[in-house]
Amino acid sequence: MSASARVRFPFRLLRFWFVRIAPAWLGIALLIFVMQIAVAAIIHDNHNVRTFLAFLNLLPSIVKSALGGDLLDSGSMTALLTIGYQHPFVLFLHMLYAVGVPAGLLTAEVQKGTMELILSRPVAKTHVYLCAAIVTLVGLFGLDLVMFAGTAASVRLYQFSEPIDLYLFFRIATTAGLLAATFGAFALLFAATFRRLYCAVGVSVAFLTINYFIVIVAQWWPAMQFLRRATLFYLIYYSNLWLGWPVRNMAILAAIALAAAALGALVWRRRDLFV
Amino acid sequence: MPTLEVESLTKRYGSARGVEDVTFAIEPGEIFGYLGPNGSGKTTTIRCIMGLLRPTSGQVRVLGRRVVAGRATEHTRLGYLPGEFHIWPGIRAARSLNVLGRLGGGRRIAERRRQLAERFDLDLRRRVGDLSKGNRQKVALIYAFQHEPDVLVLDEPTAGLDPLMRQTALELIRESAERGATVLLSSHDLGELSAVCGRAGILREGRLIEVAPISQIVQSSEHRLAVWFADGHLAPRLPAELTGVRVVRQKPGMLEVAYQGPADPVLKWLGRFAVERIATPQMSLEDAFIQYYRQPSAASVPRGGDA
Repeated sequence: MSASARVRFPFRLLRFWFVRIAPAWLGIALLIFVMQIAVAAIIHDNHNVRTFLAFLNLLPSIVKSALGGDLLDSGSMTALLTIGYQHPFVLFLHMLYAVGVPAGLLTAEVQKGTMELILSRPVAKTHVYLCAAIVTLVGLFGLDLVMFAGTAASVRLYQFSEPIDLYLFFRIATTAGLLAATFGAFALLFAATFRRLYCAVGVSVAFLTINYFIVIVAQWWPAMQFLRRATLFYLIYYSNLWLGWPVRNMAILAAIALAAAALGALVWRRRDLFV
Repeated sequence: MPTLEVESLTKRYGSARGVEDVTFAIEPGEIFGYLGPNGSGKTTTIRCIMGLLRPTSGQVRVLGRRVVAGRATEHTRLGYLPGEFHIWPGIRAARSLNVLGRLGGGRRIAERRRQLAERFDLDLRRRVGDLSKGNRQKVALIYAFQHEPDVLVLDEPTAGLDPLMRQTALELIRESAERGATVLLSSHDLGELSAVCGRAGILREGRLIEVAPISQIVQSSEHRLAVWFADGHLAPRLPAELTGVRVVRQKPGMLEVAYQGPADPVLKWLGRFAVERIATPQMSLEDAFIQYYRQPSAASVPRGGDA
């Protein structure tokens, strides 16, 4: 009896979920990869850079803030390549995964009724949450490694007028991955908390969007600068990644991510999923 | 020692009622019917048994171990069929069943699954979303039985099945009990339960109002008879000597009566008239409850009565 009572980690569920998510992940990863190549294709030519910067200056200044702000004025190739990392489209793709996956694996499975079948098998509720967390967090880190791979491929594809420090981009991609994982952890918390899919998705999207717009508005409007510390983006956007690893900020982000994910696990374990 | 014990189980959803102080036990090899109208608390009890809901108070023991919500207590030996079976619609039935069946280490289920699919005449290569409601219910039955569990918790297992497949499902339940499995069979169909169950518990408004041998429940129920007379204006009155019979509905040329015990006296009385047509309408479960609990004898059967 004791053997049957032992609950093993459901690697089969983890594998099943990874396989189910794989097409969406591959699609997003491909778009992020192509985005890096596209950015590099535009900016590797000095003439294009000048035209692009002139065009940016014609647009409302908030657009420039969203693409990197004053950093772009240096005209440095390295700075301009980071547009591919902070472009709203790339952030949107990250959001799609960070919000969609936890909500799809937890809330939607509960709402559809398949979670009832999963939990009627020898699978602990906490293990199910852990599977969703692994798929979310590993997937998000993976996307940022693809983002870096896009830059690495660009450097091989195009000639730049200055040397490109790929290690710097690896640092940016890794910290961006940590930031994305933190948002993923919050999305897990919301997915574990809400019974309805639209609530889990809505709150997660609102949380992410508010964070993003606060940091953009704070960057664009000096009077609002005091707000920037209230966002998770602050911990990465205002770290000087050019100089080295922002260890302190990364530790803070990791702690926040861990706390949000752990709180989600607690809520998930305590909550009655079915009414 | 009972395989499945429910002790003073209470589950409330805030101020809303779930179940209140439910107690029953099921022995190995027994098929126990769990009867109640929609919303009476059958699914809540079942979800507490499966550890899917956290009881407000009381406890459930399966195979001697206390069920802790979310911890999958003894779930390798449990087979479950939920009242509403939803499985990934875009995936082939065989793959879905394989993924679920092998969660937590279930092995050697492929052959059993194939046999069950043959028995239910179901093509498991089709996507679940493409299957009819009846065929999806067959997938649900295969899901519950594919790992030959020692305890089966079945919530409306024959819903949506045609009469032939309904019989196959009931046979499967009987066979499982014969090899020693314990079955909790929830239904609102008294006829279905009487075909397979030894005992049944009756749930009403969240409370277990009776646990009794199924034969006793069936005997105590009224039966109905609707008669259409050849003379369209005839409206006969029930004679005083016809005890245990009452008029349910009457209009010119038609009479519906409810009776208890043998039908012979009613039929003999009806033989005096020219009868054009006769029918035996099914009583609703609620009617059966109301009628059943009019009987003083029913109330004297103790809860958890013997099989």
